[in-house]
Amino acid sequence: MASSSKYKFGLLWSVGFVAFALVPVLMTSRYQMNLASHILIWGLFAVAFNMLWGVTGMLSFGQALYFGIGAYSIGLFVNHAGKAWYLPAIPIGLVAAAMLSFLLGLLVIRVSGVYFTMLTLAFAQLAWQVTFKWYDFTGGDDGIQGIIAPGILANKMVYYYFVLVVVFISVWFLKRLAYSPFGLILRCVQQNPNRVRFIGRSVKMNQLRIYVISSVFAALAGSLMVGVDNSIHTDMLFWTTSGEVILMSVLGGINQFFGPFVGAVILILLEDIIGAKTEFWPIFLGTIVLIFVILFPKGVVGEIQHLRHRLKIAGESGGRHETHASA
Amino acid sequence: MSGRKLVAIAFVLVAVCLFSGLASAQDKLVRIGAMYPMTGRSGLYGMDSVAAAEMAIDEINGKGGVAGYKLDIVFTDSKSKPAYAVRVAERYITEDKVHFLFGVVSSGVGLAVTEVSKQNKVIFIGTDHAATELTLDNYQPYYFRVSNNTFQSMTAGAMYLKELQKERPWKTITYIGPDYAYGHSQLEEIQYNLKRFGVEYQLISKYLPKLYEPDYTSYITSIIKDKPDVLVCGFWGGDTVAFIKQAKAYGLFEKMLYFHPDAGGNYELMSAMEGEMPAGLVLSARHHNNWPDTESNRKYVAEFKRRTGRYPTYAAEGAYAGIYAIAKAVEKVGNPDNSAALIKALEGLQIKLPEDPEGFTSFIDSQTHQIVQMQAIGISEPNDKFPPAKMMLGKWKIYKAEDLLPPKELLEKRMKK
Repeated sequence: MASSSKYKFGLLWSVGFVAFALVPVLMTSRYQMNLASHILIWGLFAVAFNMLWGVTGMLSFGQALYFGIGAYSIGLFVNHAGKAWYLPAIPIGLVAAAMLSFLLGLLVIRVSGVYFTMLTLAFAQLAWQVTFKWYDFTGGDDGIQGIIAPGILANKMVYYYFVLVVVFISVWFLKRLAYSPFGLILRCVQQNPNRVRFIGRSVKMNQLRIYVISSVFAALAGSLMVGVDNSIHTDMLFWTTSGEVILMSVLGGINQFFGPFVGAVILILLEDIIGAKTEFWPIFLGTIVLIFVILFPKGVVGEIQHLRHRLKIAGESGGRHETHASA
Repeated sequence: MSGRKLVAIAFVLVAVCLFSGLASAQDKLVRIGAMYPMTGRSGLYGMDSVAAAEMAIDEINGKGGVAGYKLDIVFTDSKSKPAYAVRVAERYITEDKVHFLFGVVSSGVGLAVTEVSKQNKVIFIGTDHAATELTLDNYQPYYFRVSNNTFQSMTAGAMYLKELQKERPWKTITYIGPDYAYGHSQLEEIQYNLKRFGVEYQLISKYLPKLYEPDYTSYITSIIKDKPDVLVCGFWGGDTVAFIKQAKAYGLFEKMLYFHPDAGGNYELMSAMEGEMPAGLVLSARHHNNWPDTESNRKYVAEFKRRTGRYPTYAAEGAYAGIYAIAKAVEKVGNPDNSAALIKALEGLQIKLPEDPEGFTSFIDSQTHQIVQMQAIGISEPNDKFPPAKMMLGKWKIYKAEDLLPPKELLEKRMKK
C-alpha cells in the first residue's frame, strides 16, 4: 500500500515536471514560457509560505519582505558593484534573508495569532517604505531596470529550465521536510502546542526554524523572478505581494502540500485571461475567487482529495469499480 | 448540494466563455498594444487615453488607413503595477505580435516597459508619463515620448516665475508634492531652472505628503504659517482636487500665489471643483481644452465630447498624438515591420497636433526621442463654456518649445549613464 502510493506520487511528480519541461517545446509563443516561469516562481513562493501557515499555523502577512530581499540583493549588487555580481548575489541574498529572518523571527514568534500577523506585516511595510524612499541606493519607487542574467542564462529558454530545476528541487526539498519528523512536529505545533512541550520539544525553536526556512525559499523565489522580468520594483515588498500568496494558498487549499502551487496556477492564469479580455477584471476575478472559496472551502486540491476519498468509500461499499477514483 | 455546485460551475464556465471571443484576423494591420490604468485613482487618465486613441484610429482608418494598412489597437489594464505591465508587454510582443507598445500613465510602469521594449527591439510610444529619466538617464533607441516631460514644464514654470518677479516681486517659495519620484523631480527641476535663469529666491520649506493622502490639513496650516510668497505644487489627479478643496477652506489662496505648472491645469480639476474652483491660480497642463483657440483644437475637443459625453483631460491628447505619430511613421516607411526604419522616421518627425498654436508644429527631438511642444501657463478665471467646469484658464503666457529643452551639459551628463 505504502509503496504503491509512493509509486503513484512519483508518477505525479514526473508528469508535473515533464509538463513544465515541455512548455518551451510545445509553446506557440514565447509568452507561454514567460507565464510558466511566473507560475513556477509564484508556486515556489506560495508553497514556502504555506509551510508557515498551512503546516505550522503561523499566518505571516510579511513574506513579501523576503521575496523582495532576494530580488533586491541581485538588483543592488548589479547596479552598484557590476554585472559580474549577478550570480554571487543570489546566495548573498539567501544568507541575508536567513539572517534577517532569524533576527526578526526572535522578535515576532514571541507573540502568536493575529499579533504575529500584524508584526510581520509591520516589518515588511517598514522595509518597503525604506526601499521606496531611498532613491540613491534602491532607486526608490522607480525600481531598477535592465538586470540581465549573465552568460547563457541570458537566453530566456535556458533561464526557464534553470528556474524549472531550481523550483522542482526546492519544492521536493520542502515536501520532504513537510513529511519528515520535523514536519510532524510543525503540525503538532499548530494543533497542540502543549503536547509538543510534553514530548520535550520546544515550540518556539521549531517556529523559528520554519520561519527562517520559509523566508529563505521566499527569497529564492524573489531572486529567480529578476531574470524573468529583468526589472524589479518596490511592489515586490508591498503587502499586496504577501496577500497574493495567502490568496493562492486559500484557493489551492492550505492543508494540502501542493495546494498553494495549484492556487498559483489558477490565480495567475485567471488574472492573465481575464485581464486580457476586459477592463472590468476586478469584478470577474473577485466573483470567481468568491465562488471558489464558497464552493471549495478546503481549496481546490483539498476538495479533489476529499472527492477522491468519498468516491473510494462509495466504491468500496457499493461494490463499484475502483477505477473511478482515479479522477 | 451537488446541484448547486453544478450551477456554480456552469456560471464560471459561462463567465470564462464570455471573454474568449475570437480575435479577428485581418491581413495588413498595424498592431498596437496599449497599456493604461482603467481602475483606481488614475483610472480617468486611462479611460480618456483609450477614448482618444480610438478616436484617432477611427479618423485614420476612416480615411483608408496608412500605406495600405489599417491601424488596430488592443488595450489591457496595466493595474498601475510594473510587474503586471511587463507581463502584458511580453504577451503583446510574443502572442499578439504587436508592432508598437503604447501608453502607460505611471512612470514606474513606463520604466519597466521601456526595458521590455529595449530587450525585444519593439518600439514603445510613451503617451502620458512625465518622468524625465525615460528620455535621458534611461534613454534607449526604441522609446519615444509624445507629451512634454516634467523638465519641460518646470523650465516653463521657472521662466514664468522669473517674469513674475518683475511684475510682482516675490522672494520665497514653499514646495508641496507627492512623495515619490514624480514629486521629487519636479522640485529638483524647478530649483535647477530657477538657478540657471539667475532668479534670486529662497526655498523656505518643502512638504512631501504620501501619494493619495486624504487629509492635507496639517500641511495647509504649516504652509500658511511659513508665509511663502509662492506655493509651488506638484500634485496630480485626485490629489490636486483634494488639496485645493481643503486649502480653500483655510483661505490659503488669498495669502499666497498658487503655482502648479505641470499637471495643475488639468481639466479634471476644473470639472471636479465646478463652482468651488478659486480664481487666480496659476496653472498649466500638457493640453488645454481652450488653448490654443485653433480650428484643430476646437474640433478635437468637440469630437471627444461627442464620443464620450465629457470633455477630455490632458492625458487624452497624449494618446491621440501617439496614434498620429505611429500613422505618420508607418506612412513614411511604407510598412510597420522595419523597426530600424521606423525609428529613423520617428526621429525628427513633425506632427501637427491639437495643442499646437498657429505657426508651430510639434516635433520629436532626434537625440532624446522626446517630443518638443509649446507650454502655455494660464490663470484660472470664470468661464462656463466647458461644463461642468465654471472656471477655465486664461491670460495665457506662452513658452517656446525650443527654449524648454534641457541644456547641452545636462543632456550629456544624464544620457551618458
